[in-house]
Amino acid sequence: MPVSSLDRRRFIQIAGAGAVAATQIGCGRHQIALGQRREIPTTCELCPNKCSVIAVVEDGLIRKLNPNPENPKSRGMLCARGNAGLLQVYDPNRLKRPLIRAGARGEGKWREVSWDEAFDYTAQRLSAVKEKYGPQGVLWSSTEAFAEVFFKNLGMAFGSPNIVRHPTLCLASVNLAYSMTFGTVPSFDLLNANYVIMAGANRFEALITPDTMDLIESTMNRKTRLVCLDPRFTVTASRADEWYPVKPGTDMAFILAMLHVIISEGRHDKEFVANYCQGFEQLAELVKQYTPEWAEKETEIPAADIVRIAREFSDAAPRAVFYAGRRSSTYQNDFQMRRAQAILNAVVGNWDREGGMVPNAKIALGEYMFLPWDDPQAPRVDEMEKNFPLAAKGDGAYLKLRENVLAGSPYPVKAWMILKQDPLNALPEQAKTMRMIEQMDFIAAIDIQMSDTTWYADVVFPESTYLERLDPIEVLSGIWPVVVLRQPVVKPVYDTKPCLDIVQGLARRLGLQQYFDYTIEQWNDAAVKELPLEMPLEYLKKHGVYTPPGGPKYGATLNPEHRFVTKSGKIELYSERLQEAGHDPLPVYQPPLGPPEGRFRLVLGRKAYYTHANSTSNPWLLDFAPENHLSINPAAAASVGVADGDMVEVSSSVGAVRLRARLTQEIRPDCVYMLHGFGKQSPWLKRAYHRGGSDAAILETAWDKVSGNAAMHETFVKIRKV
Amino acid sequence: MHDKRYALVIDSRKCINCKACVVACRAENQVPLGASRDWIGEEHRGTWPRLLAAFQPEQCHHCVNPSCVRVCPTGASYQRDDGVVLIKEEDCIGCRYCMIACPYNARFFREDKGVVEKCTFCAHRVDRGESPACVETCPSKVRVFGNLADPAGKLQQLLATRQFHVMKPQTGNDPQIYYLL
Repeated sequence: MPVSSLDRRRFIQIAGAGAVAATQIGCGRHQIALGQRREIPTTCELCPNKCSVIAVVEDGLIRKLNPNPENPKSRGMLCARGNAGLLQVYDPNRLKRPLIRAGARGEGKWREVSWDEAFDYTAQRLSAVKEKYGPQGVLWSSTEAFAEVFFKNLGMAFGSPNIVRHPTLCLASVNLAYSMTFGTVPSFDLLNANYVIMAGANRFEALITPDTMDLIESTMNRKTRLVCLDPRFTVTASRADEWYPVKPGTDMAFILAMLHVIISEGRHDKEFVANYCQGFEQLAELVKQYTPEWAEKETEIPAADIVRIAREFSDAAPRAVFYAGRRSSTYQNDFQMRRAQAILNAVVGNWDREGGMVPNAKIALGEYMFLPWDDPQAPRVDEMEKNFPLAAKGDGAYLKLRENVLAGSPYPVKAWMILKQDPLNALPEQAKTMRMIEQMDFIAAIDIQMSDTTWYADVVFPESTYLERLDPIEVLSGIWPVVVLRQPVVKPVYDTKPCLDIVQGLARRLGLQQYFDYTIEQWNDAAVKELPLEMPLEYLKKHGVYTPPGGPKYGATLNPEHRFVTKSGKIELYSERLQEAGHDPLPVYQPPLGPPEGRFRLVLGRKAYYTHANSTSNPWLLDFAPENHLSINPAAAASVGVADGDMVEVSSSVGAVRLRARLTQEIRPDCVYMLHGFGKQSPWLKRAYHRGGSDAAILETAWDKVSGNAAMHETFVKIRKV
Repeated sequence: MHDKRYALVIDSRKCINCKACVVACRAENQVPLGASRDWIGEEHRGTWPRLLAAFQPEQCHHCVNPSCVRVCPTGASYQRDDGVVLIKEEDCIGCRYCMIACPYNARFFREDKGVVEKCTFCAHRVDRGESPACVETCPSKVRVFGNLADPAGKLQQLLATRQFHVMKPQTGNDPQIYYLL
């Protein structure tokens, strides 16, 4: 079909990727109806929020992504990343066809191969590892994605117990702490709360839906009081009514002192505690020692303010929440700090109340009945039962797993299958992850871009981007859950496949096809058949999202007969299970180590326009921060002879990176900060390549003792002008 | 007065500097990298730990008396009856007088096309009954777009009940972005 020069020019502008545009149109692979404008609802994949979007497709090209107002979780918005998502499709540096490594690992020599060859070769290499080391010799790691279930299932059908997912690099400590207390992980009703305490969470820069939008709405329009504790003056701090630059690692002292004030003054919800909680007497006894005066010395927050905040908080309850945060753990006692939060919330009786902490509502999806496989014979390589008996076994504990793989203990793991994850940047201590890569006989990666880890793979499977594929239908949980569909808005531009096709291609060659004998359409048909809709699939294709009528509901669990999914069936302020596992049954304070003379604590955080380490090569986003800097307080900078803009070396016991210093008043003098996702080693991430430094290179390995979650704020760094 | 006068009311307190509006505009209007039709002004003040940070979304103010239109030698810069100030690309000779005349630095020169460009209030969307891309995409709904000529409209309601100011009122341009206090 002829394409006028005008359209070609317009496409080039849209894509910002002239070379690709010309190739695509020139080769005439697609039927493009000129002048046709279609709006197709689908679901974003630029971050874990999965907002509903409407893709505007003109002449077969994605012209714009707009927010879909029908989804109450995304609240009718689309952030910078969501708007920039269309560049994933038209990125000239994306993965376009299957690759097999031709030179040494990391040398960057690749051979473009057919899908058949990539499948055959991978299956042959995996079978060789299986023959020598057993199926447990293959590690399957993935990060959160709708299609992750297929990849995990392939690993399990293969017979490997070693499936490791992202939570222990993310919020495993939060999830475990709230689960151990309430038997579930609740959401926080920020829209209706009148008093919010946010510690170590930066909700106005690390966007979470609907929390970010709800907090803006409630603080700015309803005068909800926001108290923020953070060693940095973040955007959240700047919008808070009160901000305390808390001494890092002492948040728990603040919480325990609040409990001290609330309990000693009888400000807790006595009826709620009597009906729903167990262990209150032990808690009251424990927090006697944690006076506001003691907490002032720990936290550097004045005792009078702690007393006042505790009183205001309990006065505002149940419309008062101490927000759980949603980030990786910070210290090795992160679980206990999160437990202290959970307990504080419990005793003021904000459970399942409007403006409080609300258990997530459910929407049941149907399940496609596939043939089950035998359970793996071998135990997990990270020995979850021994190391983290209370944690979610299926997700694994990434850092402990890396230690054991490197030690070859309890058995060797020699092949690594990776979906959508970049362990070189996601895990602390990059050099160690590199050693893990080096000791693998075989590595294959499924991704849309050549991440740093993919760069070191032996086989690369290019996945279709989220705008080119049909994914499993999913529920987004929350106070008001929804069902969302991700459907293709354009055909794949290159020779790429969705995850299920890649899994099936491998399964066929591994003799496992009987477990994956279905199509994505059959999977989705099964998923939606229980929904109370006449034609559920047609509805979702048209709307992109199904929202159950009625809005949020509160109080379903507020019935003294309700059994919480805990050992006692009650909310466990005191936990026997923790005690049995050898942990403190109540949150006992342990002071953090301070930085040694001449060193600074490295603290991490996010910006609203980058997701983890995976969006810095997007040109529309990189425009806002073309490289990362080391943020340092001028007083601290003076002490090490560093001026604004100086190139500095930041070093820890595990590595060093170089980046420019940026002097800012907005950080404590004992901390330094750098943005995640920079210092890329993969030349195919053209725009982010060798810009700034990677925090993963200098973060030391440490984890929370109960959950196994990586502890990201335990590294003290040296700064030297270079 | 015309029955339509498009304008923006902006509640900067709600802005979290997330840049969604900037990328939405870039995508909607195919704005090349290196320039932006909308941006977020930042102000950081104070000494640790007494600090202040403020953000202010900015773009063309679609003034009632637009100095850019007055200085344009070819009439390429013009104003619609509904107040939207536009540039007719075919008539723009790239002299850039308008860039100097604009008190808000809202215009930029496109080397590739040899013309000046700026915010159009997404007139093409507005004419379809949609709101501008920056307005629609915003997580905190900082911008409220509407018809100032409608006495019962949401803009007049906001301006009747809230304190506000405009930027650089002394220019006589009568800018039509109202910032709430």
